[in-house]
Amino acid sequence: MSERTENQFMPFEVKDCALITRMAGLGTAINLRELRERVADMPVDCLFHHFCETQVRPAFDDPEFSNDFAVWSARSLRDRVLAERLGVINPYTYCDLEVIRELVLEILDERISELAHFPSVQRGEEFLFMSATTVVFSTGILLSSPDDFFRQLPHISHSSIYYHFVEARRRTEHAGDDFSTWLTEYGSMFQDVVDTLSRIDFYYLSLPLLHDTIIREVGGIAVKVGHE
Amino acid sequence: MNSRTLSEYRRVVGQPPISQLQQLARSLEGATVVHVNSTREGGGVAEILNWKVPLMNELGLIASWEVIEGNDDFFHTTKAFHNGLQGNSVPLTKPMIEAYESVVAKNAERLRPLLEQADFVFIHDPQPAFLINLCPNRRGKWFWRCHIDASRPNRRIWSYLRSIVNQYDASIFSMPAFTQRLDHPQFLIAPSIDPLSDKNCELSSREIDSVLGRFNISDEIPLLTQVSRFDRFKDPVGVIEAFNMLNGSVDAQLVLAGGGATDDPEGAAVFEEVQEAAAGNRRIHLLMLPADAHRTINALQRASTIVIQKSLQEGFGLTVTEAMWKGKPVIGGNVGGICLQVHNHHTGFLVDTPEGAALRIRQLLNQPDRIEEMGITARRFVAENFLLTRHLREYLTLMLGVRRGIENNLIAV
Repeated sequence: MSERTENQFMPFEVKDCALITRMAGLGTAINLRELRERVADMPVDCLFHHFCETQVRPAFDDPEFSNDFAVWSARSLRDRVLAERLGVINPYTYCDLEVIRELVLEILDERISELAHFPSVQRGEEFLFMSATTVVFSTGILLSSPDDFFRQLPHISHSSIYYHFVEARRRTEHAGDDFSTWLTEYGSMFQDVVDTLSRIDFYYLSLPLLHDTIIREVGGIAVKVGHE
Repeated sequence: MNSRTLSEYRRVVGQPPISQLQQLARSLEGATVVHVNSTREGGGVAEILNWKVPLMNELGLIASWEVIEGNDDFFHTTKAFHNGLQGNSVPLTKPMIEAYESVVAKNAERLRPLLEQADFVFIHDPQPAFLINLCPNRRGKWFWRCHIDASRPNRRIWSYLRSIVNQYDASIFSMPAFTQRLDHPQFLIAPSIDPLSDKNCELSSREIDSVLGRFNISDEIPLLTQVSRFDRFKDPVGVIEAFNMLNGSVDAQLVLAGGGATDDPEGAAVFEEVQEAAAGNRRIHLLMLPADAHRTINALQRASTIVIQKSLQEGFGLTVTEAMWKGKPVIGGNVGGICLQVHNHHTGFLVDTPEGAALRIRQLLNQPDRIEEMGITARRFVAENFLLTRHLREYLTLMLGVRRGIENNLIAV
């Protein structure tokens, strides 16, 4: 691609999103067998919610695992072996949620085969299946250039970061983030920023931490090359 | 009603959350929204509506708040509903149902035109729930908003209420665990606090000292405080038992401060039990405060070393959120929404018994640094997730989602 001057490029429209969570209507699971049955049958949106939308849900804690199945295994089933096996799954390394479903089922089957009996959780600690609807809206912010991006980055919301940096991977064909897609239009000029963004291991960070990480990493490069 | 504006909240939460609300609300401009509950003052629901309705209006919606009026028989019945939803064994007789339905019917005569024309109707808790049966020509979407821990409802009470609730387009619960088997979508919206309300705003040390002086509370002895209605589910007697177990091992004083609500006829009886349990202990201060004593409660929470909320059952537990916003660790009952907020060793401790509460009080009072650390963590979590801007955003998202078809997982507006 030939490199163009900044004013030849489309501005970046910053969007934001908000989530409304609802019960999935799948009943509950009180032990591994029931969890397996539900995971096998649940709609992919439900699977997506428990793996990927945990970052954007209001929460008081910063749990040690990023998906709800691992959190439940650790906190309610008190099965840390299972929690660690489920917790290490990064859903964004798979192109299809059905692949993740298969992987989760495999892990559950393996654990079921290892256990002599299936512990059940106490009443009140059942796994409750949820899903969510994301409403996307414009923020009215247009980034006219990468310099503008570097300047505005600290001021956009955490949920905008989620939408453009995390949720984009579900929405876009190449499963990338929106910022990198836009910066790539500038040819090699911002390749180091794109490379830096691609190295951020975002799934295991809370949104405020992810936002801070992007600001720090991208801001560092911008200062180095005089884009500030 | 609260007259604070979005720009005032911007000073506390920053620009992004305010912009989010404004952008979301653009697609709802002119929509009519009616909230109905059973009391204008006292209790968490009234506090929420006090800020929510004006802010919805400022955002361009046409929102109003209606309160149903009832007599003693009505409130005794709705208190039974409340207790029954929380799992208590309570009677439900035909005269009780008649008292309930007839009072709601009287209110329906007054409210029907407004409710039937509204785009969105939010009916809060069981007291006004029966209105849906009396408004057959509904134009908009009706939501039943349950603020109560209904995870294990009394079967008889729930069977009656479920037949009413099922007629709504959807219901809203504070936590997944509170949801029930219903024939419609069940949404989840955790409540929040208003950081600028009299109950949560910053106070001068002079004002705090003056409140302590008014109640003869020492400002030199560590203060333990539980703020909640005098209600058995809040276990005020259990808190006194825990305090007595300290038995002089640590120097402390206890405040149990409760406000009354017009829809809670049991408060006075429970207060008498608490007085009996505290009799003779000058380190225990029992304060029966009027419903509008928000600044006093604020001062007591801010003056506290540790806040206690040793409930046996709880909805979300907004007093916990309030304490955390003020940077206080909380020793809370291991129930309901308290479990969402209090994380052992991080923002406080969860306890199941008076013994557990006594243990954690002793531990913390001997580690002032941990009290401070926990307080900082607690305030950060509330700031990020549990202020009213997040709460309002979810209501707007819900209305947009329902209007555009909630079956879609991604909606652009």
